[in-house]
Amino acid sequence: MHTQDKQEALWKFGSYIFLLVVTALVLIPLYWMLVAATIPQSEFFSWPPQLIPGTYFLENFAALQENVDFVRSIGNSIFIAVTYTILSLILCSMAGFAFAKYEFRFKEPLFYFILATLVLPIQLLIIPLFLLMVQIGWTNSYLAVILPWAANPLGIFLMRQNMKAIPDSLLESARMDGATEFQLYYKIALPTMLPSLAALAIILFLNQWQAFLYPLVILQDPQMFTIPLALADLVGQQRVAFDQIMVGTSLAVLPIFIVFLTLQQYFIKGILSGSVKQ
Amino acid sequence: MAKIDITNLRKTFGDDGEQIVAVDDFNLNIRDGEFLVFVGPSGCGKTTTLRCIAGLEDVTSGTIEFNGTDVTDKRARERDVAMVFQNYALYPHMTVRKNIGFPLRLSTKQTSEEIDSRVQNVTELLGIEDLLEKKPKELSGGQQQRVALGRAIIRDPEVFLMDEPLSNLDAKLRSTMRTELQELQQELGVTTAYVTHDQTEAMAMGDRIVVLNGGVLQQVGTASEVYRSPTNEFVAGFIGSPSINLFTAVVDGNTLTGPGGFSYTLEDESLVAGRDHVRVGIRPEDLTLSESGSLPCEVTVVEQMGNENFLYGKMDDIDITARIESEIRPSEGSVVEFGFAEEDLYLFDAETTEALKTKTGETDIDYDQYTQTKSVS
Repeated sequence: MHTQDKQEALWKFGSYIFLLVVTALVLIPLYWMLVAATIPQSEFFSWPPQLIPGTYFLENFAALQENVDFVRSIGNSIFIAVTYTILSLILCSMAGFAFAKYEFRFKEPLFYFILATLVLPIQLLIIPLFLLMVQIGWTNSYLAVILPWAANPLGIFLMRQNMKAIPDSLLESARMDGATEFQLYYKIALPTMLPSLAALAIILFLNQWQAFLYPLVILQDPQMFTIPLALADLVGQQRVAFDQIMVGTSLAVLPIFIVFLTLQQYFIKGILSGSVKQ
Repeated sequence: MAKIDITNLRKTFGDDGEQIVAVDDFNLNIRDGEFLVFVGPSGCGKTTTLRCIAGLEDVTSGTIEFNGTDVTDKRARERDVAMVFQNYALYPHMTVRKNIGFPLRLSTKQTSEEIDSRVQNVTELLGIEDLLEKKPKELSGGQQQRVALGRAIIRDPEVFLMDEPLSNLDAKLRSTMRTELQELQQELGVTTAYVTHDQTEAMAMGDRIVVLNGGVLQQVGTASEVYRSPTNEFVAGFIGSPSINLFTAVVDGNTLTGPGGFSYTLEDESLVAGRDHVRVGIRPEDLTLSESGSLPCEVTVVEQMGNENFLYGKMDDIDITARIESEIRPSEGSVVEFGFAEEDLYLFDAETTEALKTKTGETDIDYDQYTQTKSVS
């Protein structure tokens, strides 16, 4: 073997080892979560720790469901996250399209103003938002959780950056073909932006799925609880129901996998290629 | 089909502080069914003019009329105009079938069967019927070009606009597509405005040619008119390949003397009467090697084209180009002399660059005339 080939092989071997270690670091807690969801709480702190999944999953789940209406929480979470993601995708892509492809007065200042709101921490916004929601009587409603964050500045920024890549001639061509400005948006811009929309959808869905602080403030009725709120409810002063929490978290990561796997087919590289000749 | 009247068109970009005039005081009548080519160097305003006709650019002032109807304030989609873009601008997420059918789906109430059969017809006309289910990125440049054309013709528009549609193709494909485009236009008979920076393309394709420079219309005419009778020095220099030889000569009675020993005695003195200086132009194809010509030239390079040779040389510091027969190859560094006929001589005003004299020889000689004169001589 050539020295250079040897070095290259060694380098490759090293990087695989490194990647394996990192993967293990990520996967081991997830695996432990799954195992812990299937064993009784009494075995939770046993030594050596149990490494093989047990048979207590259904019992643990029944206990969880009895404690907090977890099925209802899953429903709440899915409804809120999905509605929020769709609404936010529409708003962000529309705003991004306008910022990327139209000229209007105060366009630049307006865009930078929206960007500037990114630096506001959620803690700063929660109290005014809560007061606002109380005033308009929206506390304990889905709307109160979904609407305030729907026009997401990060989403607008991402969509604007990506939509800048749409060639002007593509839009002009559609205009000549008889498309209205709205048709430009949904017949040309949206379909060519599918990969970016998919990426943004994952970010938005995840954000809403794991949102805790704001829903905690706005939703007091246990019937309205999302998964993070329901799980937090299990942490009592005297006792932490680890078995139930682990069942809950195991079920909570499932939709994230599903969303990711469905959307990943849209991450096709170069969907715009072949459209215009450079 | 439509005739287009453009009156006093002016288009500026930028705000009041830094205004760039793209097109100024532009008047033009495009005849019904005509193939009109806009040509000029980059930044001359040809694309801007086309975009104004398309409705993609608001005009600063002036009017544009289609068949006598003012369309100046109408939007692109209300003008019944189809455009082919330099980069084709195909919709990347649609198949060829959907790309070509797109304008019909938007602008008419035809059923999808009707649209499909129209798409079928158009693709057959263009010879791309086997590509219907492909996406643009799977097509070659020439195929993409045809799809773009198909999308333009399917709507049966009043006007075709083409913005350098051939410039992204390789040389061979370009000349085939050039012929195809002309045939297509003749077959459809649609008024066509075509933009190019390539004067050869303009000469070959246009019924008439519009020469633009710096946003100002220089001349409108047939290929032969702009070549033989340019209105000014710019048109003379831009049209023709290789370009015309131009230099300044001093007028002394009926004699023109120029740099590097150029000397020519005019038969018709009235052409330069009352002038000290004049700009002289002679096309490379009108120069003939002769023993005692009026234009001496030191040879720098001879390029062999096969059917002819291009001779590049210097007359003092003026670059001279001549087309000579392929058999003749003067050695580099040698001094040769060229002669020319007075009917082939161009003269331009030294200050205004307006043409004073252009080619006067006979043109459009038909076959019978030609053979008769031949048999006589």
